[in-house]
Amino acid sequence: MTYEEMPEEWQEWLALTPLERFRQSEQIFAQYLTMGGSLDPDPDPTSPFYDPETSGTGAAYGRPGLRVLRRGAI
Amino acid sequence: MGGQACVFYGAAQFSKDVDLALLASEENFSRLLAALSDLNAKRIAVPRFDPDLLARGHAVHFRCQGGDADGLRVDVMTRLRDLADFAVLWARRTTISDENGETFELLSVGDLVQAKKTQRERDWPMIDALVEGHYRALGREPTSERVAFWLAESRTPERLMGLVQRFPNEARAHSSQRPLLRLAFSGESEALRKALDAEARAEQAKDRAYWAPLKAEFEAFRHAEREGC
Repeated sequence: MTYEEMPEEWQEWLALTPLERFRQSEQIFAQYLTMGGSLDPDPDPTSPFYDPETSGTGAAYGRPGLRVLRRGAI
Repeated sequence: MGGQACVFYGAAQFSKDVDLALLASEENFSRLLAALSDLNAKRIAVPRFDPDLLARGHAVHFRCQGGDADGLRVDVMTRLRDLADFAVLWARRTTISDENGETFELLSVGDLVQAKKTQRERDWPMIDALVEGHYRALGREPTSERVAFWLAESRTPERLMGLVQRFPNEARAHSSQRPLLRLAFSGESEALRKALDAEARAEQAKDRAYWAPLKAEFEAFRHAEREGC
């Protein structure tokens, strides 16, 4: 995808300086942790480091203590 | 060298871990282990910390426990596939300083792109974004090194067709190393897209071949650790 084809959000991100991006990233990271985001690596069978036994369950299931109350057919 | 570096270069919004490329020396290993001890970091996967294993291309994975860094993973490597020795990587690194004088040492964008040419599908969009971000930031200040980087690493037909129009002599000279540039000259965007895809598949196959013996060692390490050896 060329810059011109990128969504506005990504264009705005690229318009920041490297340091501004780092600071914004710190804020996003803090927000992610506040929401209970896991620091386990996402399950990725294409990674050479992938170990099904130690890999996290993925962000879709959020932090411990969250339960799925409803889900669609998939 | 990983996702954190991608944030600085504009190709990611945040990363859940810290990846360090380290000079393999006794003094450096001591400093690393002291820093990890300060963070109360524990090894969380095989292999164990061993300079010989690092030298063979393995990564060692730690997780910090307690304090501000609680839960943060730190991965350490001293050797990366198809990348130069650490001294060369260090010489061409990017250094960024913040308002307090704290410095961040990053793999150069060219080395980061090379490091991202892995078997993992998720790394390839990062390459697109790294190169596109670099072109967007510095496209108005072309140098021979930058033009060579864009011609060698751009991964969208539209950008490549634009580049060969803008830098035809450099593109012709570079087309022996990257034959798909000839398709960019002729404007065959669909053929170019297929060639780019084939290029990525070939790199992924190289990466899988590189990791195959190391993965076999992982399995042996895991088995040994489970058995308590």
